[in-house]
Amino acid sequence: MATLATEHVSVSYPGQRLAALADVSLTIGADDLAVAIGPSGCGKTTLLNLLAGFIRPNRGRVLFDGQPVTAPGADRAVVFQHGALLPWLNVRDNVAFGLRLQGVERAARRARADEVLELVDLPQAAGRAIWQLSGGQKQRVGIARALASPSRVLLMDEPFGALDAFTREQMQELLLKVWAQSRRSVFLITHDIDEALFLATRLYLMSPGPGRIVEEVQPGFSQRYRAGESARAIKSDPRFIALREHLLDTLFRLRRQEEAA
Amino acid sequence: MNPLDTTFEAAPAPSPEELPDSTDQAAPRLTPARLRVLSLLAFVGLWWLLAHSGKIPPLFLPGPEAVLAKLGVLATVGFMDATLWQHLGASLARILLGLALAVLIGIPLGVLMGRVDVARALLDPLVEAWRPVPPLAYLPLIVIWFGIGELSKVILITLQILAAVLIATAHGVRHVSPERLRAAESLGASRRQLLWHVVLPEALPDIVTGIRIGLGTGWSTLVAAELVAATRGLGFMVQSAAQFLATDVVVLGILVIALVAFALELGLRALQQHLAPWALHKN
Ligand SMILES: Nc1ncnc2c1ncn2[C@@H]1O[C@H](COP(=O)(O)OP(=O)(O)OP(=O)(O)O)[C@@H](O)[C@H]1O
Ligand SMILES: [Mg+2]
Repeated sequence: MATLATEHVSVSYPGQRLAALADVSLTIGADDLAVAIGPSGCGKTTLLNLLAGFIRPNRGRVLFDGQPVTAPGADRAVVFQHGALLPWLNVRDNVAFGLRLQGVERAARRARADEVLELVDLPQAAGRAIWQLSGGQKQRVGIARALASPSRVLLMDEPFGALDAFTREQMQELLLKVWAQSRRSVFLITHDIDEALFLATRLYLMSPGPGRIVEEVQPGFSQRYRAGESARAIKSDPRFIALREHLLDTLFRLRRQEEAA
Repeated sequence: MNPLDTTFEAAPAPSPEELPDSTDQAAPRLTPARLRVLSLLAFVGLWWLLAHSGKIPPLFLPGPEAVLAKLGVLATVGFMDATLWQHLGASLARILLGLALAVLIGIPLGVLMGRVDVARALLDPLVEAWRPVPPLAYLPLIVIWFGIGELSKVILITLQILAAVLIATAHGVRHVSPERLRAAESLGASRRQLLWHVVLPEALPDIVTGIRIGLGTGWSTLVAAELVAATRGLGFMVQSAAQFLATDVVVLGILVIALVAFALELGLRALQQHLAPWALHKN
């Protein structure tokens, strides 16, 4: 079983008084869709960069299947907020880019790309240029690119942050579909509490000064969506709303404590 | 927008059936493309009027038709032991050779400067100190070292284009999106793959812009260098024609020099559009 974990990691950037992350431990299991949420500057991106292998912790370890993570690798694909697509390649070649790096031959990687584009509901756009796409379509391509590669984990930094509310809801449902079908674990960062609650199997509430996990919840709504319940029904469920108020409450309480200190 | 292609690709005038209102028919007549043609025609017209006013002797200002007639003579008989084409060919050969050398040296060196901090720290002060020096200021030194033959001129041009290509390449490479680099790394790209699949494609529009700027300034430098020391070339042709007071050849030479500069610019813009169409769209 593939698991990605951090053990007591701390990260301090040079010249910063407080640690960006202090003693953070978490475990993302093979079936997990883990979500990190918290105010700006609480270290979410730093945490994702650790998991991806872009940076190394000052203390503690990052483990993937028990092996220390020391560098970025094709087993952990990253999806960026603005897609970070390659505009000199068309949609299909962007999706097939990871396979091309791996030396997969042209026909095979194109077939795989078309298959994944089908999965993200974008089959008609395979030959289009990147600059012809809308923001939501670009995000689909970014997700497809991560899925086409042989990665086992998707790391997503505010993937829907730049999208309008309607497209955002569509993309959340798409992500749940893709997560179920592709059998990968996901680590996702968001600023949106509803999004976090709806998607997460594990939700990490984080707080700055120093960056740390203050609460872990297992909302369980994404499993209900998988079982066939509609997204709107879930999001208006009293338990969903109660949990949201609880998380907001915690965030504001922490903010007040921090201001008092 | 470049003047030439808009001149010939002016929007088709709407047919009267489509536009029943007659006031609308007059409006599209003054498109920017047509205004450009009009401006050139007015220039030639003014030139013709001045030349034929009887106040300016042809020695100072030959008329457009005299210059055109001279073109026939220059193309066949030639001037100073060489036809116009041979002069043009000599100048073009120099600039193309200089371009080739500058690209071969400038792109790898620029990539090195853009990617390796040590290389940048070592090269940057030298490039920055040398770049603003007008090339004609160090031409005499090059002549002392390499004589007045072809070599000196090619070196001068190469240095001139190299500066532009080097700086543009280093800039383009340094400003590659860190997110794209990380995305490629997380898809398993090696350092070499990053260079080929991310860094160079993303820097390409900047590199072509550098070549464009280099060719523009390189061309002026070349012509100026030919004025000083050469036995063939457009600059030499103009310079020696001036000594014999062959004003028509001087004017013709200037027109050809301008046309070549214009054609180089248009050609490179087309190349840029062809190689990097995405650069025109904000992403
Ligand atoms: N490269 C860096 N150098 C110095 N300090 C940094 C660097 N990156 C992040 N920090 C600091 O570390 C802290 C955590 O940053 P991080 O980007 O992880 O926050 P975040 O939770 O992702 O915020 P946001 O929600 O705004 O994206 C912040 O105080 C930030 O200023
Ligand atoms: Mg962030």
